[in-house]
Amino acid sequence: MVSRMRRLLDWLEERLGTREQLTKFFYRRIPVGTTWLHTLGSAALFLILVQTVTGFFLAFYYVPSPEHAYDSVAYIQKEIPFGAFIRGLHYWGASLIVVVVFAHLLRVFFMGAYKYPRELSWVLGVILLFLVMLFGFTGYLLPWDQKAYWATVVGTHIAGTAPLVGDYLWRILQGGEEVGVRTLGRFYTAHVLILPAFLYAFILVHISMVIYQGIAPMPKRDLAFVRKEDYGRLYEASKQRGETFLEHLLRDSTVSFFLLLLLVWMAATWKVPMEEVADPTSTEYVPRPEWYFYFLFEMLWLFWGKWVPIATFYIPLALVLLLLLLPFYDRTPGRSPLKRPIASGFAVVTLVIMAALTYQGATAPLPPRSIIPQEAKALPVELVKGREVYEAQGCSACHVVKGRGTAAGPDLTRIGAGRDIEWLKRFLRNPTAVKPGSPMPPYRDLPEEDMDALVSYLASLK
Amino acid sequence: MVKQETGMGADKTVTEGISPARRRFITAALAAIAAAITGILGVPLAGFFALPALRRLERRWLEVGPVANFPEGEIKKALAKPLVAQVWPYQAPPVPIFVLNRGRGNFALYDIHCTHVGCPVRWNPQASRFFSPCHGGVFDKDGRVLAGPPPRPLDRYEYKTEKGIIYAGQIYEVNEKLEFVRWYHV
Repeated sequence: MVSRMRRLLDWLEERLGTREQLTKFFYRRIPVGTTWLHTLGSAALFLILVQTVTGFFLAFYYVPSPEHAYDSVAYIQKEIPFGAFIRGLHYWGASLIVVVVFAHLLRVFFMGAYKYPRELSWVLGVILLFLVMLFGFTGYLLPWDQKAYWATVVGTHIAGTAPLVGDYLWRILQGGEEVGVRTLGRFYTAHVLILPAFLYAFILVHISMVIYQGIAPMPKRDLAFVRKEDYGRLYEASKQRGETFLEHLLRDSTVSFFLLLLLVWMAATWKVPMEEVADPTSTEYVPRPEWYFYFLFEMLWLFWGKWVPIATFYIPLALVLLLLLLPFYDRTPGRSPLKRPIASGFAVVTLVIMAALTYQGATAPLPPRSIIPQEAKALPVELVKGREVYEAQGCSACHVVKGRGTAAGPDLTRIGAGRDIEWLKRFLRNPTAVKPGSPMPPYRDLPEEDMDALVSYLASLK
Repeated sequence: MVKQETGMGADKTVTEGISPARRRFITAALAAIAAAITGILGVPLAGFFALPALRRLERRWLEVGPVANFPEGEIKKALAKPLVAQVWPYQAPPVPIFVLNRGRGNFALYDIHCTHVGCPVRWNPQASRFFSPCHGGVFDKDGRVLAGPPPRPLDRYEYKTEKGIIYAGQIYEVNEKLEFVRWYHV
């Protein structure tokens, strides 16, 4: 066996110089102190390979047309042996990739690994991050359920708010004037042909750069602060004291293996959510994006009227440019996060904001629903009418009571603790007279009887 | 061997097999061939990809329904049927439209998508308001913004009535005074 292997290697060596290439690859020295955190890139690659393989197989059964897409996915999910599992791998794998790729980006950022000579690896990495997000965006239209359809409607509307090119973008993304059969064709083609081609091309270049330049050194001791002219010497010295890549490959493989176990556990335990088939005529649906777009979706709360494009266009554009061009405006010699407090501080603030918005998205109150039976029983008789008026007037479209409703306006769960009946009545009739600039729409025409019932109910919320 | 930098940073020992003039000619020829290939394939492909999406549909009318279906002063959701067979798909899906009968043959036909980021608004008859389920957009019966982030009133369809049937045409945007501003995404 061993001698056969050797003979094969000799055969290849004679024709392609294989042994030298492999030796150079596996036995190259890596800088001292390379850690488990340096496995995130290879972990992302591994997960992308898993997505590719599961994607190949899903494509055997999936049919990209509005008439068949939903049923073909349901067929995969319910009828095909291992169908729910394979789809689960693909679905949860997508979220896992976003997590791992983002963690990889953070690792590279905080270790200053984007600095000389790795500026272009960073730029390619950021492009890869966007490609991953585009995979997510194009992928979740494919099941053609309500979530898929409406998230895409919101996505193309957001693209449509871009200055100058918005109208074209809106049409080109949709392939016409509505999200329909052409949109699905476009998204499918992008998801399974175009994006993978670009993804793998960029991955190839990204990895070639890593191999050519070597793994970035830990920003510690003499490498915490490196002038460009000292870099080559310090890096060589670090490699002299370091391990061979083979050692690191074991760490890479271990992490990938445990990620696979995690993914298998997720796919086996968690059901892939599947909603009703897409219905463009429904006016009862509450659109929500995938969790990794929550921060963008929640940011939309903050800018009103003519300022909407700030949230839909300018802030995302600024984030893209800031990320993409990072190595070109941050050229200070400090590599340790402690040696560059401004960059680190800015990153931490951005992360906190993103985390807060994502949390807000994840914990958004349940959609408003008419009165729940148990709750109705719990209410004293004299308050039931008020609760009914509350529902009928659509208050829950903007307010939350006990975790139900939409958090556009103030949470009313304890409104009665601070406001009495008289104040509430005056406010509801003419909000801006009581609180100048209040966005609350006035309820001038509400019958006196209903108003009394409503404010009694509100005042009882303590 | 002494390395000497030339114009392209190449090693002179490598480049001396070819005269500079010849090299310039070949570079130019390669660029021309690359440009020609890009043009020959790229122009039709770009057109193939983008033009159908950018093409304005010929004015098509949607049948909304008989006037009698829409009581005066009320808002009703209608599923409008495209009248002209589309190029493709032949069976066009129905289009949801909110119809307000303002009396005396006057109507307002609203697009169901919130003008913020396109979530489907719902009509609440008791409150006499449209509510968007996403970011708290609220519109009144005339489509004006009452609260929330929407940048303009609900978009409207042009319409006509013929022999007691309402037909909807193209969507357009209006300002706060409900005056025509522009056709939707044109």
